[in-house]
Amino acid sequence: MQIRLRLFATYREIVGSRGLTWSARDGITLRELVDGIVAKYPRLADHRGSMLLAVNEAIVSPERVLNDGDEVALLPPVSGGAR
Amino acid sequence: MIDVRRARIDLEAVLDSVRRDDAGAIVLFVGTVRSDEGIRALDYEVYRPMAIKSLTALAEQAKEKFGIAAMSIVHRLGRVPVGGDSVAIACSGGHRAETFAACEWVMDEVKRIVPIWKTDVEGRPKSVRGRR
Repeated sequence: MQIRLRLFATYREIVGSRGLTWSARDGITLRELVDGIVAKYPRLADHRGSMLLAVNEAIVSPERVLNDGDEVALLPPVSGGAR
Repeated sequence: MIDVRRARIDLEAVLDSVRRDDAGAIVLFVGTVRSDEGIRALDYEVYRPMAIKSLTALAEQAKEKFGIAAMSIVHRLGRVPVGGDSVAIACSGGHRAETFAACEWVMDEVKRIVPIWKTDVEGRPKSVRGRR
């Protein structure tokens, strides 16, 4: 199945893209998907502890089972607003 | 009014969006880009659909939590120069105490949970920066 991947800020810089399509086996969990992404882009490993994970625009548990066509976003700690 | 936009924030429009006949107070908070050393602008990157959902939920939570009348939040996207407005939060309520409190709470929550990231844009040329 195909997962749409969204990347922001530091993660976008590491991967070199704002978005990718990722092929994954059926029944994969979010945690397993991120394991695969980090394996391909090892510089993400340093950020794993502070990474927030969203599926279809909502923060979810890493144990969430993904479906074909889901949009997964890897979110660095946020820093918006006033300086 | 909830929005994330590239264009300048129309502060008067944000203010007018929360005017209510039963409100005795309006608080308008404006976050601006500060001229820290070497900084000439900030670039704001936003996961827009999630940010809009999150800002909408925060405005609703603020109404319930503080009993205010109306809340508007507008955040910039893209490059904002030093001195420019990056975020505006307007809040109306019956009295000033809860209106100030709601505005401050929402600003803290925006910085904590809304998927918006900022990057410094330095004013020095790259060749100069590389020699430091």
